[in-house]
Amino acid sequence: MARIGRVVLALLAIGLLAAWWITRPQALPRQELPDREPDPVAGERVFWAGGCASCHARPVGGKRARGNDKLLLGGGLELDTPYGVFRVPNISSHADDGIGRWSMIEFVNAMQRGVSPRGRHYYPSFPYTSYAKMPIGDVMDLKAYLDTLPAVAGRSAGHTLDFPWSLRRGIGAWKRRYLDSAPVIRVDAVDPMVDRGRELVEGAGHCGECHTPRDRLGGLDADRWLAGAPNPDGEGRIPNITPAGENIAAWSAGDISYYLESGFTPEFDTVGGSMVVVQENMAKLPPADRKAIAAYLKSIPARE
Amino acid sequence: MSYPKIRLSLIAATLAYASLAVADDDPRHVRHELMESVGKAAKPIGKMLKGESDFDGDVLMSSLRTFEDAAGQFGELFPAGSNTGEDTEAAPAIWEDRAGFEEALAKWQTAVADAIAAQPDTLDAAEPVAGPVFQACKACHETYRIEDED
Repeated sequence: MARIGRVVLALLAIGLLAAWWITRPQALPRQELPDREPDPVAGERVFWAGGCASCHARPVGGKRARGNDKLLLGGGLELDTPYGVFRVPNISSHADDGIGRWSMIEFVNAMQRGVSPRGRHYYPSFPYTSYAKMPIGDVMDLKAYLDTLPAVAGRSAGHTLDFPWSLRRGIGAWKRRYLDSAPVIRVDAVDPMVDRGRELVEGAGHCGECHTPRDRLGGLDADRWLAGAPNPDGEGRIPNITPAGENIAAWSAGDISYYLESGFTPEFDTVGGSMVVVQENMAKLPPADRKAIAAYLKSIPARE
Repeated sequence: MSYPKIRLSLIAATLAYASLAVADDDPRHVRHELMESVGKAAKPIGKMLKGESDFDGDVLMSSLRTFEDAAGQFGELFPAGSNTGEDTEAAPAIWEDRAGFEEALAKWQTAVADAIAAQPDTLDAAEPVAGPVFQACKACHETYRIEDED
């Protein structure tokens, strides 16, 4: 009997160790950073493509920040989700409350591995599963740009999550399934414009986070990439933006880039809902980037 | 039933239906129709701005007059009790923040009046005055219209 007990205990210990090992945060080692000088001007472009301000700009008077207030990245927005309430952190250049003291490798690991400087997992409400698909140079440029923005004092409260989501370590297992730097859509023909579009849509733009349906574990369903999904903000649906999408099917590539630039559909209806802030960010990109996004969206498989 | 009788009853039915349509003064329907006319008028201007069609000053002015007409009516078309039903896309914010709604509407009215006063006769002249008109559409929709995606 005592021997069986010891065996059970030993198996349990092995199981726990295995779980600990499987869920460990996997940071990129410092020596893998490319040797290049980050460019803050290019980083500003990444900033708008990524829509960082849409979540991280501190709300003003209970409303989303506008104009130059979008550059005050003090956090504080609350995301009410089925898993609990996520509170967006301060990513301003403030040394104590923001990320002003972070090194380049710490920033890259946060963005592309979902690992904090203290070696803990971030929750994927911070869409690093998309950012993992960005070129690492773009991430470095982004940090160089963020370093130029004002320091904002004040920290957000922590997340309030329901069990078992409150067990942060479990994210490690989730990441093994969903964190991958490989492109979602591979096309054989090499078209630099489509490739650039893919970087923007699958990576920084994190379009899939709303436009792709999720499975039961909250991961994106790659088989229905950009095929539309329930609106995370409440009623209705986020539209299908594959070539099978009800509205977008009839849009030319020019219509798509014009929509991203102006906020007007080919019928001259206006952009609505949560897409308004996204479109306003996309309007700040150079025209070539919007064309690249359109070219990519026209190239992906039609999905219902 | 004889042939003329059928024809008469058809005419009567048509008339009844037509009078029904004329008598439909439900503000939810009226404003919807009005907004549809605005959308139809916006399209040719948009195509000019987008470079998809040649500049046509007459078409531009006619669209601006449609906007002017609609902008003058909208203020009266959101009375109490018309906030729900009939698939209205009017957002609750119209009734919760009437002053804000009227301000957004006034911006559109002003932009339209300015554009009409400018009488643009080239695309270059039209762009700076049409821009604010379109921006006013977008700004008002963002807060005062519900999104009915899919």
